[in-house]
Amino acid sequence: MSEPAGFSRHGDNAFVAEFSPAEREVLINLAGQIIELLSERADHADEDPLAAMVGITSHDSPPDDEVLLRLLPNAYADGVDAAEFRRYTESVLRNKKKAHAMSMRVLLKSAEDGGVELDHDNANAWLGAINDIRLALGVRLKVEERTHDELELLAPDDPLRGVYAVYTWLGWLQESLLQALMDDSANEVN
Amino acid sequence: MVKIKSKIEEEIQAIFNSDKPWVTIVWDDPVNLMTYVTYVFMELFGYSKERATELMLKVHNDGKAVVSTGSREEMEHDVARLHEFGLWATLQRGDQAL
Repeated sequence: MSEPAGFSRHGDNAFVAEFSPAEREVLINLAGQIIELLSERADHADEDPLAAMVGITSHDSPPDDEVLLRLLPNAYADGVDAAEFRRYTESVLRNKKKAHAMSMRVLLKSAEDGGVELDHDNANAWLGAINDIRLALGVRLKVEERTHDELELLAPDDPLRGVYAVYTWLGWLQESLLQALMDDSANEVN
Repeated sequence: MVKIKSKIEEEIQAIFNSDKPWVTIVWDDPVNLMTYVTYVFMELFGYSKERATELMLKVHNDGKAVVSTGSREEMEHDVARLHEFGLWATLQRGDQAL
């Protein structure tokens, strides 16, 4: 087994990484789950087709599912303002997040040898997708309530132990992509 | 009725007397990596690494920070972009902020 390397920068606008078959499988699978989750509730039979075309949805209440609520949070503390904003923006937000996950999934699926090369835009989509997956796993792991030590000490037979391992690995992967991206971005802005 | 009326008055007042009356607030979150939050501030707002890092640390230490100010429409746009990248953001009138 080779040492984990994560992403590294190649030249101006290329960020490369090699994934093992297992890692590639996990990422493809998780991206697919996020896409599926974000597609829930999106198609309403009673939806006004014209309104749907311009991204207006008939629902304006926050999602019941805890994970979806974290991915599609309220923009206002005030309930009325939050509902109005959601009505006009939620489907756009869902589609943008789905596009991030799809970009990651499609690229990985075509990378049969496990090697991927991202440009800056792809990299941003991957960062967003990895982050959405971590947010979703974080809700299931209850990272809000549990300390780092509690999570480290999960029993070997606890199913959350595997989830936590993936969560930690994704954090490491995201950090390596960020380091590669920020290599020179400090010089680009003032 | 009274509530509606005062809300309309508020809106009108905001239109006339609005320099930069709205703010975008980012809230602390135990999942998002510090480097990621810094990077998102740089990418979305064009902030320098120093400014972005300072704001990220404010979110981390104080639980929240104002990351941009402007019109209501501008702040709605900023919040939507922050949500796209998974940051926990809300907007509100600047005079009610923090």
